[in-house]
Amino acid sequence: MNKVLAVLLACLIGGTVGLSGQADASKPIVTEAGSATAKTKLVFWNGLTGSDGVTLDGIVKKFTAANPDVSVRVEKMVWGTYFDKLLTSLVSGSGAPDLFLLHEFEIPQFASQGVLYETSEFFKPKGELDKADYEPEYVKALLYNGKTYGVPLDRHGWGVIVNKDLFKKAGIDPAKAPKNQKEFIDLAIKLTLDKNGKHPNEAGFDDKNVAQWGTFTSWSKPNFLSTLWQYGGNWTDGKGKATLDTPEAHKALQFWVDLIYKYKVSAKPAGFDGWQNLANQKLAFIPEGCWIYNFLTDNKVNYGVWEYPQLGDKKPAVWTSGHVMYMPATASGANLAATKKLISYLAQNTATWATAGMPAANLKVRNALKASEVPVAVAYGTSFKRQGQFDIAHVSISEIIDKGYAPELDNALNGLKTVDQALKDANKAVQEILDRS
Amino acid sequence: MLKPKSWRTGRYIAGNYLFILPFLAFFLAFTAIPIVQAVFMSLFDWPMLGKKRNFIGLQNFIKLMDDGIWWQALRNTLFFAAMTAGGLTAFSLFVSLQLNKRGKGRNLYRFLFYIPVVLSVAAMGIVIGWSFSTQYGLVNALLGTIGIPQINWLGEKELVIPTLAIATLWWGFGGPMLIYLAGLQGIPKQLYEAAEIDGASQFTTTRKITLPLMAPSIFFVLVTQVIAHIQVFGQSYLITGGGPGRESYTSIFYLYQTAWRYYRMGYGSSIAISLAVIILVLTLFQFVVNRRRNEVEY
Amino acid sequence: MKSNLLGRLLTHTFLILVGLACLLPLLFSLKIALEPTRFAFQAPTWDWHDPSLEHFIEVIQRQDLLLPNWFVNSLFLSSTIVILQLSIVTTAAYGFARLTFPGRNFLFMLLLFTMMVPGQVTMIPVYTMIRDLKLLDNYLGLILPAMANVFGLFMIRQFFLGIPRDFEEAAMIDGAGRWRTLFVVMLPQVRAGLVALGILTFLGSWNDLFWPLIVMNKLEMRTLPVGLTVLNGSYGAERALVMAGAFFSIVPALILYGIFQKRIIQGSMLSGLGGR
Repeated sequence: MNKVLAVLLACLIGGTVGLSGQADASKPIVTEAGSATAKTKLVFWNGLTGSDGVTLDGIVKKFTAANPDVSVRVEKMVWGTYFDKLLTSLVSGSGAPDLFLLHEFEIPQFASQGVLYETSEFFKPKGELDKADYEPEYVKALLYNGKTYGVPLDRHGWGVIVNKDLFKKAGIDPAKAPKNQKEFIDLAIKLTLDKNGKHPNEAGFDDKNVAQWGTFTSWSKPNFLSTLWQYGGNWTDGKGKATLDTPEAHKALQFWVDLIYKYKVSAKPAGFDGWQNLANQKLAFIPEGCWIYNFLTDNKVNYGVWEYPQLGDKKPAVWTSGHVMYMPATASGANLAATKKLISYLAQNTATWATAGMPAANLKVRNALKASEVPVAVAYGTSFKRQGQFDIAHVSISEIIDKGYAPELDNALNGLKTVDQALKDANKAVQEILDRS
Repeated sequence: MLKPKSWRTGRYIAGNYLFILPFLAFFLAFTAIPIVQAVFMSLFDWPMLGKKRNFIGLQNFIKLMDDGIWWQALRNTLFFAAMTAGGLTAFSLFVSLQLNKRGKGRNLYRFLFYIPVVLSVAAMGIVIGWSFSTQYGLVNALLGTIGIPQINWLGEKELVIPTLAIATLWWGFGGPMLIYLAGLQGIPKQLYEAAEIDGASQFTTTRKITLPLMAPSIFFVLVTQVIAHIQVFGQSYLITGGGPGRESYTSIFYLYQTAWRYYRMGYGSSIAISLAVIILVLTLFQFVVNRRRNEVEY
Repeated sequence: MKSNLLGRLLTHTFLILVGLACLLPLLFSLKIALEPTRFAFQAPTWDWHDPSLEHFIEVIQRQDLLLPNWFVNSLFLSSTIVILQLSIVTTAAYGFARLTFPGRNFLFMLLLFTMMVPGQVTMIPVYTMIRDLKLLDNYLGLILPAMANVFGLFMIRQFFLGIPRDFEEAAMIDGAGRWRTLFVVMLPQVRAGLVALGILTFLGSWNDLFWPLIVMNKLEMRTLPVGLTVLNGSYGAERALVMAGAFFSIVPALILYGIFQKRIIQGSMLSGLGGR
């Protein structure tokens, strides 16, 4: 018996190692792009461990095909550890990549350590990229202490995805997006059904046996921030004070909490997978990021797209962020020149990037995108031009979000704390971090 | 019997040291000195990057006392450790007692029950975490067949830690079970035979003979389990991410994020040391209680 | 001891239920790994839907996962750590058990004392040390800190103490030095203990999560447990893939367990830890 097991183990090891060598033609090997004998070898890091990363690799391969004297090694890690590794390697100066991606709100965190390469020379008059091709607030987001860092790759963010089948079943036109809070709530009520077919506003609605949910609170941060901005508020006043314990923040968070407990049109976030329920015909419309695109096509969801609705009463706004390309401050020589070429290439070839759902940062490219080919990127991209807003960047931004307010939003949405208590605690935590910096 | 005398003379002393030298070197480098360093670090504001570190004395510990997140994590951790250690100690014992009665099939059951133990916490997290999924999990499916509605095991404040405790129990009960089985084997059969002759019921026998004799093993298991489960990390990290909110956020998870997410080594060290002190105190407490209990009996 | 029929029936039922509880989650996960992903996101049923090995093959081949690397890393690291640790620990255990040198008892007490200090206290300083030695993303970064296993030292020393001195006396008379005595005469005696410790160490290293998590960042340098957290976290929507990945960690552990059952159980009982 032991012999059998030992043989089994040996086969398992052999098989695993052996099979890994065979490339599946439909999934291209993307770690190394370009020829191994290329003169200049670049290393490109990013945190896109999903199918969007695979799309990006494809664009890199096109670059190396057109520039045979350069080869690029793309290394992907999960965002969390990606930052640790990146920051450590940049600060210690050893093992740093030639090119890496960051979000725009992380600029202060890295720029304050003096490890980013200044990129004003990429833009006119010195370079070929034109600042006019980017939204003004995006150009502003690249600044730290008056200097420009990074070149934008895309602008991604929040919008609403709609399950057209469920709308049709209810006899509602999926193209008619709600224009304010009341319409949003009414629509969600019409689309929420318990197992007896009752709506939340009908007597006898069984909220323990909901067969179909109208909407869902999804990732709390973008929803909360978008709504908060629409009310004219923000998490800080930009001058070192946390502003989460304010009437605007209360109204913003209360709206999302009410959807769950007052109007009963959304499930509690804990234990509920929004994407899966949308695909399984159990969720009608969901605020989501444009990167859901591949999931929608993979799961053959009959989807529609709305721009993020106007929920607050002061101004239009929706949360956006951007993947920005950076080089280490220590870049030099042949590698620097090659990386510059790669950056320029990527910046201008983001049409392919849109097939992953990501609207191009470059407006010329974004405007040229065809809705029939990349519907999500186009719809979201248009929304961003009109109402897109970037979050305020800060040196300790990850701690502020992770430790400061995100768990408190979670607490309120899961009914563990009242909105008042959650925001008070969040404000205190964020203020402590702001005071420390 | 005397020790080989010649190995005791000075000529051999140096050579004797060679035996323990590699171990000592690694021990000093990776255990002894780091312990001192940890205490040292906790007295500084020590960021992971950059060179500046400021001596701030006991400020880290003072701030820790005022840190709501530390207290919540500690509460969660102690609650989890108590449930898991207590549950494991008792459940494994119960299983061992039942298993001890069976003659046939014993080895098969023992084999089966130990299977979860050989899983890594990651594999266990994936398997059990999914089993407790509200909409798609095995547990709710099974409960559904007897008419119980879906329970949000990992999403309800009151349920998440008990659920993680049950998962850990599933994972680990085979371990203490082995220790108990060994202990049960050691109880002389005559005792049981005598009890039977005296007409004692099974229940009384267990209570008056088996349990007292097993007391040392039970105590040992309890102490080691408490120590082990206060250091819980994987279940929280992989299955719930600390949620909902911070209801399953544990002390070690907090340590991990403080040092490796927020880059605060000094504060992280103070967390580690404070937790170590708590573990030591709890262990001592258990020993004292056990000694008192023994004294009372005799 | 005679027990009544009802008692026996209850015991039987209880044991069967516990056995099922141990197996069902694993079998259920295996089922998910064998079916198309969308069935993972529906309530589980007993019937099969297009079972295939596609997920297992996919999880091996995907270039953004590198599972074979994780597998080989875990295998290499665990094996190396066992071999090196056993060598170092055994020699030291013999030293503490049988050889005299000044400060022996004091040192041993010191070692025992540190066993009471929980592991996480040293995590940050050791990490800083490994990082400054530029051993992050390096096998040595995981191997070196694992060498001084005080618990293992304690266990093997106990074994040595239990061997009658006659053997050493005889060896001495035959003119053997300390090293020869250790290797030729003593080691075979403690073989059971060594195997038990070796297996415990192997499993402990194979399943370790925290250390490799902070030391190995590069995707291709990760170990299986760390890789699995990545798989579960970032690819959660591809649930069948995640389950398939998990089995690459579970199956070798199970096979090793199947082969070395007796030793593992012996080892757990001897060590008094039970494995968890």
